[in-house]
Amino acid sequence: MRRLKFYGLGGQGVVTAGKTLSTAVSIYDGKYAITVPAYGHERRGAPVYTDIVVDEEPILANCFVYEPDIVLVMDDSIIEKNVDVAKGKRHDTALVLNTRNPEVAEMYANEFGFNKVFYVDATQIAIDCIGREIPNGPMLGALAITGIAPIEAIENALKDIFGERAGEKNAKAARKAYEQVKEI
Amino acid sequence: MQRQQEKPTSKLRRFRLYGPCSHVFDASHTGSWRVERPDVAFDKCVKCGICATCCPANVITVDKGSAECVRIMWDYCKGCGICANECPQKAIAMIPERSVK
Amino acid sequence: MGHYKMLDGNYAAVEALKMAGVKVISAYPITPQSSISEKLAELVDEGELNAKYIRVESEHTAMSCAVGAQLTGVRAATATSSVGLALMHEVLNVAAGLRVPLVMPVVNRSLASPWSLWCDHQDTMAERDSGWIQLYCENVQDVFDSVIMAYRIAEHPDVLTPAMVCLDGFFLSHSMQKVLVPEQEEIDRFVGEYKAVNLRLDPKDPILINNLTSPDEITEMKYQQAAGFRNAKRVMGEVFQEFAELFGRKKSVVEGYRTDDADAVIVTLGSMSGTAKYVVNHMREKGYKVGAAKVVSFRPFPYEELRRVLENAAKVAVLDRTTGFGAQGAPLWLEVKSALDGCKLVKSYIGGLAGRDVSMWSIENALMDIMEERSAKPDTKWIDLQGDPMNLRQVLMNV
Repeated sequence: MRRLKFYGLGGQGVVTAGKTLSTAVSIYDGKYAITVPAYGHERRGAPVYTDIVVDEEPILANCFVYEPDIVLVMDDSIIEKNVDVAKGKRHDTALVLNTRNPEVAEMYANEFGFNKVFYVDATQIAIDCIGREIPNGPMLGALAITGIAPIEAIENALKDIFGERAGEKNAKAARKAYEQVKEI
Repeated sequence: MQRQQEKPTSKLRRFRLYGPCSHVFDASHTGSWRVERPDVAFDKCVKCGICATCCPANVITVDKGSAECVRIMWDYCKGCGICANECPQKAIAMIPERSVK
Repeated sequence: MGHYKMLDGNYAAVEALKMAGVKVISAYPITPQSSISEKLAELVDEGELNAKYIRVESEHTAMSCAVGAQLTGVRAATATSSVGLALMHEVLNVAAGLRVPLVMPVVNRSLASPWSLWCDHQDTMAERDSGWIQLYCENVQDVFDSVIMAYRIAEHPDVLTPAMVCLDGFFLSHSMQKVLVPEQEEIDRFVGEYKAVNLRLDPKDPILINNLTSPDEITEMKYQQAAGFRNAKRVMGEVFQEFAELFGRKKSVVEGYRTDDADAVIVTLGSMSGTAKYVVNHMREKGYKVGAAKVVSFRPFPYEELRRVLENAAKVAVLDRTTGFGAQGAPLWLEVKSALDGCKLVKSYIGGLAGRDVSMWSIENALMDIMEERSAKPDTKWIDLQGDPMNLRQVLMNV
């Protein structure tokens, strides 16, 4: 069983990203996944998170993720909003971060103590491929580097969730992020 | 006739309350939700006041006498962008709010 | 055969309502409504569902409309949650008394006050004596299956009792999971076309329904309703069996999980039941003889079946996601306690209120606590309290 936590800001498609990964794993990779979304006072710009559990077997536990194996951060400014993305982190927990700046990635590695950090400029990729500053599609592509789901499964799931035209663009963005993602 | 109270009622005491209530109103500053902020080009502005009329949060004041004639209460502007959309002179641009890193 | 679809709990309920061929939908489209009514509206608008959608002005009217519509001989649907269900309270009793076998998904969310958006069972527990069947779901597949089966149970001529399918807010309503959706023909065969077998509104043959009824007859009519609930147990068994044969998923009114040789068992409702099973497996690995029991049908309450499931357990922890103010224990505990004979230790636990997560530790703590409990009549325990609960708000105010 692998447990994931996605952090981001309202409007960035954090919850949709959870649903998309769940689809990729369940429909296109023959495994099982559940999303445990945490809804609050919905508004743009507020910190948002969502939990996803992935397993080979049907998943019994239906509660929040407290000790994530993978943490995905959609916006590097989350650090300024008093959100502790390292909560429940273990020594081998991987971080996938959206940032244009490798120094910020270093900072996340050092300050939060992640031993494994992947980073990509998903916002720029989103602007280039989709034309909007919504980084969830490319971030899922970058997430594929952790082996949680094959990139093809994520591309297919994006097409399912976003429909034909937007799905195609998001899938392209995901592939690009998958190719560009770097590890510290 | 009832006499008016002579002592002022401004004495504060500590109370323990049961049930929900807010006593710190930081969350009421809806301006913190903003991801984009209206930026006015004052040289293009004709002071028509349409932005102030259309603002759903009623946070825009147009002061015709001043050079920086459009004043926005940043504590409550949610950055919805309606003012920018409605401005007939296209004098309002929406610019990203988040800090530059 | 069917095919896999990614659905959250709300859309799984919609899928089932759609496949059961509802003809009238009445819903009040504002908080605390769920995406169930929104999706139904979309399906009607796109022509995917041939139904009349009536946008009403309150949940009270939503239920009134649904009752009236179903009395004309079609399946009617509505959905609600939280305080919306509370506003339906009056008409819920009307639907039950008129023996209109409506099926309604209810998204379990806390009742005000304090205002909350989040999951607990306060809303449906407040309706436990409204004369409706109540089925609680563990996962999203369960939501789909339960709605489909609820039609067969509620509409059975020996039952004729409306049914709510209760799904936990967010933990199920917004949790995206893989659901095996059968083909439409399979559902058509299983659910069948709706026939009003009791009261029916027909302009060609007018009758007055829900008139003032004298004390001479009401007791007997209530007795008929009670008989409907008694029959519902038998019918549930039959319907669950038939569903299992057709679709391969077996449901029971109460489901024991590793209870045969368990010393201590935790009894739960809804989505926390999965977590309970997970914790049981985990604790078994550490050598604790524990089990879990999931109550699926809260109304009618399966006291005989529960007695069998808990036969070998000496200690029973009952975890309620509601408060049961002023009672000796919370509602599920009261039922379990009265179902069992006096020799077992049955302790009431309260937790998971208004969205507080029933985590693995909550369940494990309850099980550890009951194993260590020595008192024969223990007090109710709130398992997930934080800090000093009596001192949350200290404010400076004018005297």
